[in-house]
Amino acid sequence: MKYDKFFKLAKEAGIEEAELYISQKYEVSISLFHGEIDNNSVNNGFTILARGSYKGKFGTSSCDVWNNEKAAFLVNEIVANAKVIENEDPIFIFKGSEKYKKVNCYNKELANVSLDTKIAKLHELENAIRAFDKRIVEVQMVEYSENMNSVTLINSYGLKLTQKSNYFVYVGAAIAKEGEQVKSAYDLILENDFAKADMSTLAQQVGQKAVDQLGGEACESKVYRAVLSPEVVADLLKVYIGRASAEEVQKKSSLFIDKAGQKIASSKLTIEERPLQRNIFARWFDDEGVATKNKFIVKNGVLQGYLYNLTTAKKDGVETTGNGYSEGGKIGIDTAFISMKSGKKSQDELFSEVGNGVYITEVSGLHAGMNPQSGNFSLQSTGFLIKDGKKDRGLDLVTVSGNLLDIFKDIQVVGGDTKIFPSAVSCPSVIIKKITVSGK
Amino acid sequence: MISKKLAIDVLNASLATGADYAEIFYEDSTYYSASLENGKVETSSSGSLCGVGLRLLKENQCVYGYTNDLSKKGLLTLADSLNKSFHGERLITVSKLEMIRCKNRNPVIKSYNNLPREEKIALVKEGIAEIEKDKDPRIVRYIGFFVDNHRFVAIFNSKGKWFKRDSEFGRLGYNVIAADKNGFETSFEGPGCQQDVSYFKTKINVRKVARQTADTALKMLTAKECPSGKMPVVIGNGWGGVLFHEACGHPLEASAVAKGLSCFSNKLGEMIASPIVTAVDDSTIPQEWGSIDIDDEGNLGEKRVLVKNGKLVNFMIDDFNGRRMGKPGNGACRRQNYRYCPTSRMSNTYIANGKSTPEEIIAATKLGLYTVGFNGGSVDPSTGEFNFGCSEAYIIRDGKICEPVKGATLIGHGDEILKKIDMVGNDLAFGQGNCGASSGTIKTNVGQPTIRISEVTVGGRGGELK
Repeated sequence: MKYDKFFKLAKEAGIEEAELYISQKYEVSISLFHGEIDNNSVNNGFTILARGSYKGKFGTSSCDVWNNEKAAFLVNEIVANAKVIENEDPIFIFKGSEKYKKVNCYNKELANVSLDTKIAKLHELENAIRAFDKRIVEVQMVEYSENMNSVTLINSYGLKLTQKSNYFVYVGAAIAKEGEQVKSAYDLILENDFAKADMSTLAQQVGQKAVDQLGGEACESKVYRAVLSPEVVADLLKVYIGRASAEEVQKKSSLFIDKAGQKIASSKLTIEERPLQRNIFARWFDDEGVATKNKFIVKNGVLQGYLYNLTTAKKDGVETTGNGYSEGGKIGIDTAFISMKSGKKSQDELFSEVGNGVYITEVSGLHAGMNPQSGNFSLQSTGFLIKDGKKDRGLDLVTVSGNLLDIFKDIQVVGGDTKIFPSAVSCPSVIIKKITVSGK
Repeated sequence: MISKKLAIDVLNASLATGADYAEIFYEDSTYYSASLENGKVETSSSGSLCGVGLRLLKENQCVYGYTNDLSKKGLLTLADSLNKSFHGERLITVSKLEMIRCKNRNPVIKSYNNLPREEKIALVKEGIAEIEKDKDPRIVRYIGFFVDNHRFVAIFNSKGKWFKRDSEFGRLGYNVIAADKNGFETSFEGPGCQQDVSYFKTKINVRKVARQTADTALKMLTAKECPSGKMPVVIGNGWGGVLFHEACGHPLEASAVAKGLSCFSNKLGEMIASPIVTAVDDSTIPQEWGSIDIDDEGNLGEKRVLVKNGKLVNFMIDDFNGRRMGKPGNGACRRQNYRYCPTSRMSNTYIANGKSTPEEIIAATKLGLYTVGFNGGSVDPSTGEFNFGCSEAYIIRDGKICEPVKGATLIGHGDEILKKIDMVGNDLAFGQGNCGASSGTIKTNVGQPTIRISEVTVGGRGGELK
C-alpha cells in the first residue's frame, strides 16, 4: 500500500507506534466583478501529518508531497522531535473505538450540476444585489466556491478511517452609500444541496444589511439592555465553548475551573455538540480516531463536563469525549458542530420585550478585542437602537464590552430565529440583561 | 526544483488559449516549531511544504491553481485545466528564460535548519529561567516558543524571466497567564527577524523579553477597566503601528484600490492625513521581518512612500490589480505560499519619525489614554472602519502616566483618524506581526514613533474618563 513504506521505516527507526493523518482538498472557486469573471482557481492539494512515539515521547512532522524520500523525512523528524520532548503527559496512538456511527456528509449530486449553472447563479446574484436599492453603489464581489475534502487516518495498529465531505459557498458583498456615509455588508450560503442555492434571498440579505446601516450614528455611552443577533451569539459562543477544554482547565487557564456540574449560565442556555448531525460539519471520528458522539455541554445553564482528548482524559481518569483535533503540532481539543437550543420568539417579539435598548447585529476584531482567558471583550460593533419596542436607527462606530461569563449568565430570553454559521455553530438571537456600549 | 526546460513547457501550455501572462511559482520550504509549557518542552514539530502555483492572466481575469504533483505530467495537467478558462489564440510563446538578478539584502548565512533543536530550546529556556526566578504565585501558566521557517521559491514567467529567492525567519516569544480571585490576564511578546540565531543572542535580550511579558500580565491583573468614549490617545511606538497598518495600510493596497473599493480610491494627490504624517511601506530594509528583495511576481522590492507630509502619493501595487489602475506593480505582490494566488500586500509599514520626544507628547496631554501593548486589529477597506485591541494601557493625567487600565479597544475611520494625528515622536520602532488577507498569512512589520491622536473612540467598561 502507498503508505506502507512509512510504517516500515518507522518501525526500523525504533518508533513504537505511528500514525498518518492525510487530508486532501479539491477546491474550485470563481468570482465575478461587473459581470465578468475576474478570478478563477482550481486547487488540488494534500497534507500529511505524521505522529509517532519514540522512547515514550511523541514527535510530529508534516509534508505535502508523498514519495519514499518524504516517508524517510517524516520518520527522521519524528525521532528528532521526540528526543527533545520533556513533558510527562501520557501519549496515545489509538487502537480504535468499538463502534463507529458513520455519517454521510458527501452529496454526490453537487458534481452533477454544471459549472455553467453555477456561474449563471453568480450573475443572477450580482444583478439582484445591484438592483436591490439605488443606494447600493457597488457589488464588491460575488463568488462561488466548491470544496471536496477527505481525511484519512491510518496507524500502526491497523486502524484506518476515512471521511469525505463536500460543500459549496455563494458569497455576495455590497457597498451602500448615502451622502458621505459608506457601509458594506456580506452574506453567504454554505450548503451541499444545490437546491438551497437561492440567490434572490441571498441578494436581499446582503442588500438589506448594507442599506440598513446607512443613517446610523454613535449612541450615548452607557449600559443597555440588548438583543444580540444570532451572528453575535455565534461569535461569542465559539469562544465560550472553547473554555470547556479539559486542557485549558488542567493548565489552570480556563474560566470553567472547578465548574463541572455547576451552574455557569442562565437556565435558558442549553448547548450541545452534535458531531453526528447530518450536515457539512459532521465528524464521526476525531483526529485521534475516536468515535464522536452527540452530547450536552451546557444544559439549562449547568456545565455538564469538560471536553477531552485521550491525553487529558487519562490525566483526569475519565473517558475521552472524542474532541481531539489537530492543532499546531499536537492533538488539542476542539468541537465539530455546536448547536444552541432555540426558543420560540421572533426578533420583533424580542425587540418588543426589550422596549428600549440596543440590537447588536455584528461584532468584529475578535482576535484583537477578545481575551479568551479572562473572557473580557471590547469589540467594534454594528447594530440599531431599540426604541419603544421597535428596531430604530442604526448605530455607527460603537463598541460593546463585557465578560463572556456575565453575558451567558445574563441571557433572559432565547429567540426562535436559529441560523447556522460557517464557524460550525447554530444559534438564535438572545436578550441579555446588560452590555456596555461606547459611542459618543 | 523544476528545470528551466520544464518551466518553459508549462508556461507555453498555459499560454495556449490566449492568456497574456503566465507564471510558475515553485516553493520548497521547511519549518520548525517548539513550545514549552511551564518550562518543559511540550511540542516539537517540523515539516516541509513543496508545490507549484500556476497563475494565468488575460486582461482583467486571473486564473490560479496549485498542485503537489511536480512531475511533468502533473504540471502540464494543471496548465491544461487552467487554460480552459480562456478560448482565444496563443498570443505569446516563451523560448528562453533569463535570470533576474537583484541585491541580496536578506542573505541566508547560517540556516536554522542546521541548528540543533536543543540550542533553539535552550534560548527559550533562558527567558523561562527569568520568569521562574522568584516567580509570583499569581503566574499560573507560562508558555515559551521558538519557530523558524526556511523558504526557497523560484518563479518563472512568460516575460521570459526567472529568479530564485531564499529566505530564513526566526521568532521566539512568551505568553504569560496570571490569575487572581478576580480573573485572568495574559501578556504576549514575540520578537522575530530575518536573520540567523545570533539575533536572539546578541541583538535582543531574551531574559528581558520574558521578564517584561510576565510583568505586564501581573500589572494588568490589578488594572482597572478602561474608560470609554471619545478621548485623546497617545499610541506608543513599535507595535502601535498596527493602527496605521489596519486603518490605512490595507485600504492602500491595490487589491482594494483598483476596483474603487477602498476609502482611498481616487484620492491620489489629496491630503488624507495631518501634514506632520509621512508613512512608508519599505520592503528594502535589510533583514527586517517584512523585507523582500524581489516580490512574488518578479518585481524588485521598493521603498514606497505612501503618504508624504499628509498627501497621498502612492499605493502598494501588484501587476494584476495595476492593470485596472494603469500602473505597473511596485514590488508589493506577496503570498503565504504556493497555495495562494498573490496580490498586493504590505511589507515593513510605518509612520516616519517626527520632531517631538515621547516625553513631550505625554507632557502635553492633560487627560487621555496612553496605549503601549497591542493585540492586533482588523479593517473593512471599503468603509475604512477599523478596530484594534490594546493589551497594556495607562491613563495620562496632567502630563503624567498614571494608573494602568485594561480592556481598551480603539475604533474609527481610517480616512478620519490620520487627520487627527497632532503630534509625532522621534522614536520609530518596529513590531513583528503576521498579517492575514486573501493571499494568506504573511510576515509584516508594523512600526511608528510615539504619536498622539486628538480624539479616538475608545471602547471599555470603566465608564466615563475623569
